[in-house]
Amino acid sequence: MTAGAVVLASGSTNLARGQTAFSLAFHICFAVFGVGLPWLLLYTEGRWIRTGDPVWLALTRKWSRAFAVLFAVGAVSGTVLSFEFGLLWPAFMARYGGVLGLSFTLEGFAFFAEAIFLGMYLYGWRRLSPRAHWLTLWPIAIAGTLSTLFIITANAWMNVPGHVREVGGKVVSAEPLAPFLSPAAPVQVVHMLLAALMCTGGVVAGIYAVGLLRGRRDDYHHRGLRVGLTVVLACAPLQLVSGDLAARVVGARQPLKLAAMEGLFRTRSSAPLSIGGFYDEASGTVRYGIELPKLLSLLEGFHTDHRITGLDAAPPADRPNALLVHSAFTVMVGLGTALIALAALVAIVMFRRRRRGQRPLLPTGRLWLWAAVATGPASMLAMLAGWEVTEGGRQPWIVYGRMRVADAVTAGGPGIGWTFAGTVTLYLGLATALVLILRRMATGGPDPDARDGRRSPEAPVPASVGPGGAR
Amino acid sequence: MTAANLLLIVMVGGLTAYALLAGADFGGGVWDLLARGRDAADQRRLISASLGPVWEANHVWLIFVLVALFSGFSAAFGVIGSTLALPLLAALVGIVLRGSAYVYRAYGGGAAGPDHLWGHVFAVASTITPFALGVTGAALATGDLSEGDPARPFTNPFGLVCGLFAVTVTAFLAAVYLCRDAAASPATEHLVPGLRRRALGGALAAGTLAAVLLPLLWSHAPVVAHRFGEGSVPFAVASAAGGIAALVLLWRRRFTAARLAAGLAVAGVLWGGAAAQYPDLVVGRATVASSAAPEPNLVALLIAIAAGMAVIVPSTVLLFRLFARPDHSTD
Repeated sequence: MTAGAVVLASGSTNLARGQTAFSLAFHICFAVFGVGLPWLLLYTEGRWIRTGDPVWLALTRKWSRAFAVLFAVGAVSGTVLSFEFGLLWPAFMARYGGVLGLSFTLEGFAFFAEAIFLGMYLYGWRRLSPRAHWLTLWPIAIAGTLSTLFIITANAWMNVPGHVREVGGKVVSAEPLAPFLSPAAPVQVVHMLLAALMCTGGVVAGIYAVGLLRGRRDDYHHRGLRVGLTVVLACAPLQLVSGDLAARVVGARQPLKLAAMEGLFRTRSSAPLSIGGFYDEASGTVRYGIELPKLLSLLEGFHTDHRITGLDAAPPADRPNALLVHSAFTVMVGLGTALIALAALVAIVMFRRRRRGQRPLLPTGRLWLWAAVATGPASMLAMLAGWEVTEGGRQPWIVYGRMRVADAVTAGGPGIGWTFAGTVTLYLGLATALVLILRRMATGGPDPDARDGRRSPEAPVPASVGPGGAR
Repeated sequence: MTAANLLLIVMVGGLTAYALLAGADFGGGVWDLLARGRDAADQRRLISASLGPVWEANHVWLIFVLVALFSGFSAAFGVIGSTLALPLLAALVGIVLRGSAYVYRAYGGGAAGPDHLWGHVFAVASTITPFALGVTGAALATGDLSEGDPARPFTNPFGLVCGLFAVTVTAFLAAVYLCRDAAASPATEHLVPGLRRRALGGALAAGTLAAVLLPLLWSHAPVVAHRFGEGSVPFAVASAAGGIAALVLLWRRRFTAARLAAGLAVAGVLWGGAAAQYPDLVVGRATVASSAAPEPNLVALLIAIAAGMAVIVPSTVLLFRLFARPDHSTD
């Protein structure tokens, strides 16, 4: 290969990686709501059915409309992804498509179930009794959760592959359940499910906190804030536990990823835990960070003598980009810690207000509301940073230890740049439109037709379609 | 019957469901694009209302077929990914824009640009996708592909006519389905004559294009054409019979029966094409034998599909039954 061809090939690899990362990041920002929102809706609509309180109905109606839009964009961007695996990584799919088949097939069915019952839910307000309508949320919620589980097993297998036999670059036998048997699967699944709930709760809380900050201090906004904030803050400490378990699997199975997360160059016992700062490749150290001696060894092996593999264990070409991975890890852990701190503070304040008999329990001063606004972006950013850790830390492998990213990419060079540019333009345009629509929905207050009590509301007939329109 | 063959049959079944259900949804977009005159707004409203609850579920059939393809026949998927990128990207752009524009128009309330603008995006995107998928399907039969020339599938005359045929067929299906939807409610009954005209026109156009496609098949895809002559004639006859029956039934305003006949006409084309394609997946590049995943994985896949279908099929029936009748409380 000539030098020019090498440059071209590595260029197209980077473009393909960029395209994949961008479309995955775009998709997951919507997919998390497909996982989280149905559980929230189960609660609010369930409360409405039991109490007949129109505020619960108003929240349900508002969220279901937002859900309709978010789910549709998530669905079409998910379709792009399933095509992209073949378009951008044909060699990867040709070799391992069969291994990952069961995960993708089951995920497809879960998505199928979600789409079917979502159709009933969104358009069935008048055709179903309130109870039957509420019941259609169960398959949506369960299928959304299962689809996370299934798709994460595929990613877990790419990180910690096993249960396949390869001869000369061809899979000769694979246990059908291989992705489900990956040791990374359970911890990754739990970590992502909690992340999805946190993102949903945080964004919901953030939207209602903004409403409260603008002076709409009514029951509708208080309750919206309460539901969202409860979800994000209750999940935050659990996320710490699941993250700790995940890091231990990474340490055992992908030692170089852990080294990159911690910015640890030299393999050693009594390894320190580095918090913050930037990894400097020239010196192999973390600059401007806080170093807690021996803590990494203690966390990973429960003993300060525990030996931690550093980046020096592999030749430079086989190391992940520690600057990127360590920074992303810092962002994720920092935001997670902040959310846990907020959860603790809110819990203390609520406990004190309860002892004093004050209502509402949830503090709603301006600072508290600003903190609640921040939980949404913080959760989303932490989730994206976490994926950067997972995927960036796996480099240069697409299937850890088995296939390099550079060997998986499509041969066609020049077209990828245009595709990438087109994808970015298209997605940014769609995202802008979506944000405008969601902002309109969020600032509109409760839908007018949702205020009149127990009566089953009108179907959310689209504005341009329905009789009289919704607005 | 090997696991690979069984999986292929299941995939053709999934493709049929996609063509008959999602195809009609895309066809609705074609009619949205072509809506003219004083009934145009009412037509668009009817089309949009008929899509609402079902289009996302219908769309998933494509994902099902795609996942079965890359799980069961990974090597063929690798070939398709590296040679058919351009038509597939075009189909994807259509899919993304169609879906987003539909919900933006339905739920946006004008917050992100006027509804009619999103309506146009929806309509144009709905036309692009079946065209691009038709071109893709044709390329699998001709084998006229090249890694270095992504635009190649768009230069093949058989491929282009196939794309046009796919658009026509989806429009035909949509018009037939919409006839029954419109006839079911007094509020939309006035749209029936126009839709019936469109359905009849669509049937004739699709029939004409099919007649053009046959000689092109022989000249551009001789391998498949040969097998077509040997084994696909019964399917072609069934398709033609379905098409003629649909014409007669539309003429006599038997819209429910016309739906079934139209479905048979379209399914016959797909099955005939699939039978002639076998055992090639991409002619000249990938066969069933060369690209099938290991047998135990295929068996596991089939078991998973059987279990999944046991949940999905009854749920889909429930969905369609729930929305089979128009909503009279809106009157």
